[in-house]
Amino acid sequence: MTFQFESLQQMWDMAGHGPYVWTAILVSLFVMGWLLVRPLQQHSAILKTISQQLRQREQCQKEHQSANTSEEDK
Amino acid sequence: MIATSVGFSGYLKRDLLLAYRRRGEAASPLIFFLLVSTLIPLGVSPDSARLAELAPGIIWVMALLATLLSTESLFASDYQDGSLEQMLISPQLLALTVLGKVTAHWLVSGLPLTLVSPVIGIMLSLPGEGTVPMMASLALGTACLSLIGAVGAALTVSLRKGGLLLSVLVIPLYMPVIIFGSAAVQAAIDGLNWLGPLAILGAMLSGAIALCPLAIAGALRLVSNN
Amino acid sequence: MASARNWNWFHRMGSPRWFYETTGRWLPWLWVLTISLVLTGLVWGLAFAPQDAKQGNSFRIIYLHVPASFLALAGYYLMAIAGAIGLIWKMKLSYMVMKSAAPIGAALTFIALFTGAVWGKPTWGTYWVWDARITSMLILLFLYLGVLALQYAFHSQEAGNKASAILALVGTVNIPIIYKSVDWWYTLHQSATIKLTSAPSMHPDMFQPLLVVIVAMYSFYGLALILYTRVEILQRERKAGWVRELARQAETQEPAK
Repeated sequence: MTFQFESLQQMWDMAGHGPYVWTAILVSLFVMGWLLVRPLQQHSAILKTISQQLRQREQCQKEHQSANTSEEDK
Repeated sequence: MIATSVGFSGYLKRDLLLAYRRRGEAASPLIFFLLVSTLIPLGVSPDSARLAELAPGIIWVMALLATLLSTESLFASDYQDGSLEQMLISPQLLALTVLGKVTAHWLVSGLPLTLVSPVIGIMLSLPGEGTVPMMASLALGTACLSLIGAVGAALTVSLRKGGLLLSVLVIPLYMPVIIFGSAAVQAAIDGLNWLGPLAILGAMLSGAIALCPLAIAGALRLVSNN
Repeated sequence: MASARNWNWFHRMGSPRWFYETTGRWLPWLWVLTISLVLTGLVWGLAFAPQDAKQGNSFRIIYLHVPASFLALAGYYLMAIAGAIGLIWKMKLSYMVMKSAAPIGAALTFIALFTGAVWGKPTWGTYWVWDARITSMLILLFLYLGVLALQYAFHSQEAGNKASAILALVGTVNIPIIYKSVDWWYTLHQSATIKLTSAPSMHPDMFQPLLVVIVAMYSFYGLALILYTRVEILQRERKAGWVRELARQAETQEPAK
């Protein structure tokens, strides 16, 4: 197994086929990367909204309770 | 046994009667077929040699689109007026009932297209050898299209903008039919054996008759549950 | 007794929570495996595999084109089978897998078509030919898009699941027919200038990296499918206690900015 090109420059050029090969590779890798990044983003976004909702509800409950107690004080 | 045949023939008769009462609506695929075929010479070329070359494919594409046009309304009125619910809870075998409806749809849309196609063939200067194969392939092929299209219509019946979605779902599934349909006509024009592609269309039709009613019935049940 | 134990795994697998937690343990390994396999395969294929005698360096596109096409097709069957399991056993998780498989499959089909087109330019002199395989790949993309569109057209999650499962199954019956008919259609119209079915026997030096990228693509597919399915699970189980607990934990780990 040997390196097929004399330099990295030649590998980039690929004897004239470089533009084709590298567009194909880069676009494919971009799409594949997007397929992995998107679910990760959604994953953390969902967890964040859930925890926000939980916190809001807890706050509501607390206010409700404190309102109740203050009424009792009167 | 009696109950099942009642489901088939009852819905067949009912749908034919409904189509007869709404003649204008039922005729619209046919009018579409005729209108678009006058666009082709205007858009491509009136030269008869060029038209003859394109005719088999064009006639088949137009027939496909005309069938698709009428497929959307296959279950729509039944869904809206609630008779679909009755069809689902009736003791008849749903797949057979559905087959009756699809048969009626073919008698109203596919069969007229087939009968009119020789006229379109003359207008598009289709060579004479192609006429009989075209009618035969259209008769078998539009029946396939009705069955496949009915699956899509059943899946999208409860959706408000079902029409566009229906074409997205169904056109990929139509492709084998159009390939063999236009191939039969082309083969006859080229002096080759056109019974081969026709036999394959027949095989597709038998497969579709066996499988599509099941898928349609499944899709309709799902729609009724939601 | 034995049969009860045999079915145990099946019911456990139907539990989204079990799936979420188990795959959570696999994920780090799968990430390492996928990235290392993709890198090894691509570097090997792009830099160390020998040139093709006829096509020169442009043949190196094969190292993404072939695995993507493989998985695009295999992914459709996976999606349809998941849909069938959902319809038959009413398994929620199975629908989630089906829904996740659709965008991945569509993206891989797009990759296969795109790399094929770019490969076609230097090899045949055009980006697009109506070749049998290319055409059926395009139809596969339409089928995927149909399943995706149907899934999102319904307001109710359940109706969308069932509808797209039925559509996926109808498509499965059709894929061999479509493939065969397009093949037949192409041989009828075949133009002699282009021959796609080159290299019946590949040189081992070229074939070994191809094997690596195919395995890499399978691993990538598994990873993407798991990630998408986990998102689906969180979305549908967001009212469940364990998901709330998870959200709290995530919050404490990553304090609000």
